[in-house]
Amino acid sequence: MRLPIATAAAFLAFLSSSSAIQLSVLINPSALLPNPSVLPASTHASLHSSGPEIDVPLTRQNTFEFDNLTAGSYLLTVYSRDFIFEPLRVDVAGEPGKETVGVWQTFRGNEWDNKGEKRGEGRAGTGAPIVTEVRVVAPKEFYQERGGFNLLGFLKSPMILMALFSMAMIFGMPYLMENMDPETKAEFEEMQKASPLASANNPAAQLQNFDLASWMAGKTSGADKQQSSSSSRRKASN
Amino acid sequence: MLLSFLLPVVALFIPLSLAVFADDAYHVDFHNALLGIPSSRTTFFHQPFQGSKASLIYTIGDKSVLGAVNPKDGAIVWRQPLAEPSNVTDAFLSVGQGQDTVVSGIRNSVAAWGAGDGKLVWRKSFEGAGPIKDLEVLELAESDTEKEKDSLVVFGGATPVVRRLNGKTGAVVWEHEDNSGDEPFQIAASSTGIFYITLHTSMLGGLKIRITSLDVLKGTKLDQYTLNSDSELPSAQSILFVGANSASPVLCWTDKHHKVLKVNIIGTRPVSSFNLDNANGEDIEKIIVHAPRQINSVPHFLVHYQTPLSHWAEVYHVDLKTSSVAKAYSLPKLVGNGAFSTSTSGVNVYFTRFTREELLVVSSVSHGVLGRFAIKDFTIPGLLDDPRPVHAISEVVLRSGAAHAVRCAVLFSSGDWVLLRNSEISWTRPESLSGITTAVWAELPDTQDLAYQLDIEGHQNVLTAYVHRVRRHIKDFEHLPTWIQNLPARITRNFLGDNEKRPSAELQRDSFGFRKLVIIATDNGRIAALDVGSSGRTVWSVEIVGQELGSRWAAPQLEADPQGFVTVRYGVRHLLLNTTTGVFLSESDPPPVEIKQAPGNSAAITYELIEGEVRGFFGGDATPIWKFLPAIGEHIINIVSRPVDDPVASIGKVLGDRSVLYKYLNPNIALVTAINQGARSTSVYILDTISGNVIFSNTHEGIDTSQDIAAAISENWFTYSYTIDTASHIPSSRGFALVVGELYESSLPNDRGPLSTGSNASSIEPLPAGDALKPHVLTQTYHIPERISHMAVTHTRQGITSRQLLATLPGSNSIVGIPKQVIDPRRPVGRDATAQESSEGLTKYLPYIDFDPKWYLNHKRELLGIENVITSPSLLESTSLVFAYGIDVFGTRVSPSFSFDILGKGFNKIQMVSTVAALAIGVLFVAPLVKRKQINAQWQIS
Repeated sequence: MRLPIATAAAFLAFLSSSSAIQLSVLINPSALLPNPSVLPASTHASLHSSGPEIDVPLTRQNTFEFDNLTAGSYLLTVYSRDFIFEPLRVDVAGEPGKETVGVWQTFRGNEWDNKGEKRGEGRAGTGAPIVTEVRVVAPKEFYQERGGFNLLGFLKSPMILMALFSMAMIFGMPYLMENMDPETKAEFEEMQKASPLASANNPAAQLQNFDLASWMAGKTSGADKQQSSSSSRRKASN
Repeated sequence: MLLSFLLPVVALFIPLSLAVFADDAYHVDFHNALLGIPSSRTTFFHQPFQGSKASLIYTIGDKSVLGAVNPKDGAIVWRQPLAEPSNVTDAFLSVGQGQDTVVSGIRNSVAAWGAGDGKLVWRKSFEGAGPIKDLEVLELAESDTEKEKDSLVVFGGATPVVRRLNGKTGAVVWEHEDNSGDEPFQIAASSTGIFYITLHTSMLGGLKIRITSLDVLKGTKLDQYTLNSDSELPSAQSILFVGANSASPVLCWTDKHHKVLKVNIIGTRPVSSFNLDNANGEDIEKIIVHAPRQINSVPHFLVHYQTPLSHWAEVYHVDLKTSSVAKAYSLPKLVGNGAFSTSTSGVNVYFTRFTREELLVVSSVSHGVLGRFAIKDFTIPGLLDDPRPVHAISEVVLRSGAAHAVRCAVLFSSGDWVLLRNSEISWTRPESLSGITTAVWAELPDTQDLAYQLDIEGHQNVLTAYVHRVRRHIKDFEHLPTWIQNLPARITRNFLGDNEKRPSAELQRDSFGFRKLVIIATDNGRIAALDVGSSGRTVWSVEIVGQELGSRWAAPQLEADPQGFVTVRYGVRHLLLNTTTGVFLSESDPPPVEIKQAPGNSAAITYELIEGEVRGFFGGDATPIWKFLPAIGEHIINIVSRPVDDPVASIGKVLGDRSVLYKYLNPNIALVTAINQGARSTSVYILDTISGNVIFSNTHEGIDTSQDIAAAISENWFTYSYTIDTASHIPSSRGFALVVGELYESSLPNDRGPLSTGSNASSIEPLPAGDALKPHVLTQTYHIPERISHMAVTHTRQGITSRQLLATLPGSNSIVGIPKQVIDPRRPVGRDATAQESSEGLTKYLPYIDFDPKWYLNHKRELLGIENVITSPSLLESTSLVFAYGIDVFGTRVSPSFSFDILGKGFNKIQMVSTVAALAIGVLFVAPLVKRKQINAQWQIS
């Protein structure tokens, strides 16, 4: 449905009857905006140099048509509800009737002389409008998603993965040990005794032998041991 | 050490973007997309493209906004503002039969718009031409070969010009200059030719109608004649109708006293005269002629007569062969006001009569009723008075000779536009809200009631206060049965995730204070109350000044008193209205008014802008105690002062190293903006409004002074924005800039400057030597992507919540809430923030702030022509209510620091309950295990 640039330009050339400077800014289809015709009618562009802005609405051909530009250095801003467009710099210079027009990319918050890629140029008096292009930078994302509960995301988190791994170790290891053949088991126990990790005072070992049930009952495993030793003493006195 | 490491990490987790939640959008906010009060000449039904089944309503309202409205639900299909809101004039709109474009004309510019999508087809501006006086799409048989029909435009000015514009490109086909010196009036085209109608002032002071016939193809003058009308025609207002685009255009006028109706068939010289019989002897107030707009329809027209008490109509037929006009039949006189409209179907013409009781459809051929639809309970929401219908448009569907269905859009004098579908109201558009001039927040009186009761208790002795309190609680028991009754429903509703509370019809405060009224004054002379808590519903609306259509009521002063009444001041008049009902409270019976003194007695000194200077007055004195004049060549354009109610939670700002920078908190400061057009510069001055001292000033050069310079001041900070002038060579960058500044008592932390020694502070003599106390001011300037036309600041109950700057962007029709921490002037420049600085939430200064789309309060809605934004606190500290008006009306609520004191919609109650249940089950399982283990520990020898 959309017109190729050449056709559009020819059509626009047909529109122009005077020698005044006409600038036609096209929105070409891009990856972000495959069909520029979906842009709402409120999309408009403005050229500002000094004094009131020259403001034009979007046409059916997805262009912005500026007529009768006078000499000056303009900032072109495209306003759209759904997309962010890049700003452009439009320079019109020279004597009336022989003006030259240049269009460049410009960068906000930078020096005005810091021009980017050239987007178009032309001169007055040819009868054809100067055609240039403005590009979409990004779509506008207005909404914030609520952080809802997501089971997959929950399981993917490293903390949960670590917890699951240690759970597997705590419950799986004794089972593995039991299923070992006696010789390997004896060898393994020998190794464990030799290692400094195996000592009862090792916090890591304590953590591994963590007693969830008694911890939930408000007792630490250390206290548990003391208590059990005191109770054995009591039994001894009996 | 750990803390200093953790704080920046914590700061990282606080997202700076505060967006509208997708499920909150369209629920917590409301928006009335308006067009302005539609005018009768520029409102019609039209099919957006040939063969389309449904038609749209096209209109240009009094705010020069062109728009298409879906007649089904009253929604806007598209809108195009044709002029700046401050600069509206007459606009014209025309459409050709079967065309997919509508042609608008305003000032010296003609534009064709796609009827379906509202995009521009072509636009032509005629430099140096006078304002457009008339615009018609030319309906000629010969132009059928071309798909796009040409337009005829009459330009006024010193030498009026008629131009024919190509329908496809807008290029001029021909033009006809009129050097006669007559006043151009209208253009009329019929199947036979083009007639240009001018008004010639005769020697006796009356007007003569001169008709010039123009060649269709070349625009040359073919014939010219004058109708002898000067004895009847004192002014152009007496010309009732000039038919355009009908098979036989007629010209109707009447005399000053509405005694006679004169009709001329354009293109012929004879004038038919009809005496108006008025049996009752009532004066006819108004005569309106309704004729079809279609070229192929039968040449019948209807004349509507309106007297103060009744209305009737007469239908006339034009005989083309004999060029005579004859009365065919009349529609009976009915009491009250009515509105007529025409509609066509093929060659047939139908008239629809609207009265409060019914819609009546008749054919133009005979007076037989084709359809009668009794209107069931006709009410316009919120209206306290009974407005009269002003004009109507209609569309009739006929089946086997009878009116099957009728749609009729009636505009009322209150500015409400109502569409009736057969017997029922389909929708109502409150178009008068497009002209809000003043708006104030009003608390619902219930909120005040408890405060009032508590106030009583606070001022009594302990015993009586206790008795009062017990009584109050006993009285509260009245509500217990209903509360218990509603409990099951409430609980189930909560669990079904349907958190939204449906606002009750009666005005009751809600527990969060989101429900407030906004009292507004409109330029068509009305005062209304909008319920911000329930989608901006009109609670009441009342006419204060009977305003003629087209004239504007100057903004009155509104003041909402917490006691439950609104004071309206305009001119010398002074009215009191009930806040919740809008009922007029007479001055003889004023409610108990307690005069409240503003805090700090600051009301004693007032200041205003007089003759280009700011003058401060003490009490009621006529001589100013201070004057402020800006630098030579500058003139003041704006003064903004700190809001009267501007709570500040903390008097200092805690820095990363736990030291405190004390804020300069002066309640009496105002920001004055002045511009120098010649030097292209702008200056801002901050004044102490008690002493008139300038405590800060700043000048920017290379500014476009024709553009908006918006400013806001709150707490200890101020901000303003301007447009850099690309024509000047001073600044090295271009675009739009936002300046933000903060005032501190001293540049050093833990230092209160000269204030530290004294226990009292004085604005007039802050220092013993009589010097002015100058705060330490930090400013930073940012580039912003768009122009800001208005600024406001969010307002919360205690001021603990961080503030947001609400900036209105006219370019993208939006309001953005810029978080204050983003525009903190203490952002480090040229280096990364240190750990201490990042713990304060400061990031490295970047010269450019992009408006994150997540900051847009209006998300996908487009707010046209917003002129003012007002904010009000809710009962929740986190939330501020926002109301914006201009052409559109928009309301929402914002939580600049997140809604930390309310559960959001994201809070899943089912999940919470199931977690608790799962834990309980877990405990049940683990308990025996623990018990066994404990017993084993006691008895087993390990």
